[in-house]
Order: sequence, then C-alpha cells, then structure tokens
Amino acid sequence: MIYQNPKIPEGINVSESNPLKDFFFMLTAVSGLTAIVLVLLLLTAEWLVKFTPFDFEVELAEHIFGNSEYFSAEDSEKQNYLDKLVEQLSVYQQLPDDFAITVHYVEQDTVNAYATLGGHIVVFEGLLEKLGSENALAMVLAHEIAHIKNRDPIATLGRGMTVGLALASIAGLGNSSMSTSLLSPINFLTAMAFSREQEQLADEEALEAVIAYYGHAEGAEQLFEILQANGHYEMPEFFSSHPMTKERIAYIQRIQKQYNGDHHLTPLPIFKLQSEKRSIHE
Amino acid sequence: MFDLIVFVILVTLGYFFGRLAEQRHFKSIKQREHLYRSVLCFSSRFPPPNPTPVESTLVAGNVVISIDYFKRIAASLRGLLGGRISAYESLLERARREAILRMKKEAKFKGATSIFNVKLETSSITKGKNQQVGCVEVYAYGTALIPVNRG
Repeated sequence: MIYQNPKIPEGINVSESNPLKDFFFMLTAVSGLTAIVLVLLLLTAEWLVKFTPFDFEVELAEHIFGNSEYFSAEDSEKQNYLDKLVEQLSVYQQLPDDFAITVHYVEQDTVNAYATLGGHIVVFEGLLEKLGSENALAMVLAHEIAHIKNRDPIATLGRGMTVGLALASIAGLGNSSMSTSLLSPINFLTAMAFSREQEQLADEEALEAVIAYYGHAEGAEQLFEILQANGHYEMPEFFSSHPMTKERIAYIQRIQKQYNGDHHLTPLPIFKLQSEKRSIHE
Repeated sequence: MFDLIVFVILVTLGYFFGRLAEQRHFKSIKQREHLYRSVLCFSSRFPPPNPTPVESTLVAGNVVISIDYFKRIAASLRGLLGGRISAYESLLERARREAILRMKKEAKFKGATSIFNVKLETSSITKGKNQQVGCVEVYAYGTALIPVNRG
C-alpha cells in the first residue's frame, strides 16, 4: 500500500478575516446595547422613584444631611419671614398636605437658592440681598417649592445613583466604599442638578403661583436678571443646567403682558440685622 | 480615565505584537511542514501488515502558546454576543500544527518514516484564574516506526 502526504489547503480552521473589523463591530454592538440598557434603567429609576413616599424621602434626607451646618434651625427675623412666605405660597401651589417644606436661611454671600431632598429649601443671604422686591423672592421660593412638589430632588437622586452604580459595575469597582461615596452629603448639596424639562416645569408652576398670590407677575423676572448681571464667571453651579436665562426672561415677559396694568411691587420688609450690617459697612 | 488609557494601550500593543507573532509563526509552520512531509502521521492504532521489519518508539511534541491582550478582549466580547471566536481558532490551529511538527522532528531525528496512533491532548494552563492572560498547551504523541536494515 502506498501512502501519500497531500498538501492540506489553508484556511479551513482559520478564516482570513480582519480581526480589527470584527473587534470594532463587537465593541460597537456591546457599547450600544449597554447604552440602551442604561437609558432604560434611568427612565425606570426616574419613573419609579416618584412612587417613593415623601415620608421616606424626609427620613433619607435626615440620614444624609443629619449634621450639615446649613440645616441647623435658626430663629431670626428673616427666617420667620421666609417660613411665612413659603407657607402662603404652598397653599397657592396646591402642595399636598403631607409635603412639609423647610426653608433654611444661610448667611453666606453665595448668590443662590436651591431645593433638595426631604423638602428642604436653602436660601443664601447673597441672593436675598440682591432681590429688590418680595415678588422676586416669591418667584424664587415658588420655583423651589415646585421642584419639591414635582419630586425633582429624589428623581435626580435616583438618576444619579443609577448612573453611578452602572458606571461602577462596568469599571468593576464593586467595593463597599462605593455606596458611601454615592450617598455622601457633598454630592447632594452641590450636584443636585435638575434637567431642563424639570426647570421649565418649575418655572411655569412658580409663575402661576406668583400670579395667583399677587394678581400679577411683575418682578418675577428679577432673579434671572440678577443671574445675567452677575456674569457667567460667577454663575453658580446650580444654575448651569437651567434653561437659558434669556429664554426664561422672555417667557416671563410674555406672561406679564397678559396681566397688563399698573401693578405695584411689594417691597421686602426692612430687616433689623440687615440694616445694622449695612451701616457698619458704610 | 487613566484605566481607559491603559486599556487602549494594552489592546493596541496586544494587537500589533500578537499579529506579528502569529504571522511569523504561520510562515514558519508552513516551511517546516514542507520539510517534514516525508514523515507520515496516522491516527489508526496499528500499522497495516508490512513485511519490512521495523522498530517502534514513542515520539512526542508539545507547545504552549499564550494569547495576547487583544485576543482576550475580542474573545470576551464574543462571549457576550455569541458566535465563532476566531481569535482563539487561529491560536489553537497554531498550537496543534506546532505540536505535530515537533513530534515529527523528533521522529525524523530517530530515522522514522511514519508515526501511528497519533493523539493530541489540549489543556488550558491558566484555567479558572480570573484577570489573567490565558495560554494553551497542545501535546502530540504517537508511535514512530523506524525501518531496520537487516543486511
């Protein structure tokens, strides 16, 4: 018997395809799928989080901000004034009864005000000093109350935590320090950025409340004028995600035209502390 | 971010060096296969009845080939999507052919003309260890028949 050793053709087990092409196709497919899953998760989280009872949100906030310096209760003239104004505005905004809002007045130069978890609103002295009328202050407060009513802070928290967890699990950083860093108070105080849609809705609701309260919308645009005048360099972080300031002023002016007439702005009460401080400076 | 840069560098390095090594290896395999064509390999356990006297001896050849980082990532992506892992197919092909070649080299050195009962064993050396670049061992062995000249 004669045996032969034939030459076996190449390419039976190994296909001559470009591995890079294959690699990038797979990379695109996997990252595309990951993105879709992430978006779905985000939408679900944001939708589900609104079903969280407000009581739970308050408890969570207490757990997180427990000993934050901003949230120490203070009994001052301005504090009482803000409390009263918020209480009155809440009625006009049809805030549900179980939603308790707490205003915190902070004596700092920051030109800012924000709403955060657990129905807390923080107003800085810097902003209050720049606002020329009660109408403008009411607009600021009504805007923040609207955020709380719409559950924006907890929706943002849900969104942030979903993204954080997803990124951490992709990066494989599944250690215990992750959960603590996700729930750190600094995250909530500085990074509570709402989406454009949330801001627009809050603007609209706030304007309605101010109109219902004063009968007109004069002075409502002042907050945004202050922000504009303050310049971009001093633009507080919190406002970076807000709709364009110009657009918001234009929107308010459109509404104001509907309530034409000779309206008077309600002045801010003269606070003892503030006047004393001014005289020292001068 | 830093992790991502390291990752991209590793994948790029893996791709270029891995591809270079593979192309060179295949070239050398083809050359040596031609060189050892005279040694015939059979998988049957016994040789056909043959009047010429022979001596028999065990011959073996083994090889360990490592995957590169690029292949590893490509394979793990394949693991998510399913389908042929072409990155590993070429790796195993190289390992099998190299192991047989080494066995044939030994057989030729001993003066054999054929090898019977040729078998291949494959094992993954880094089996079960996470976060490690794997490598594969292929071991080829068989009974070499050496013709004996009896004057």
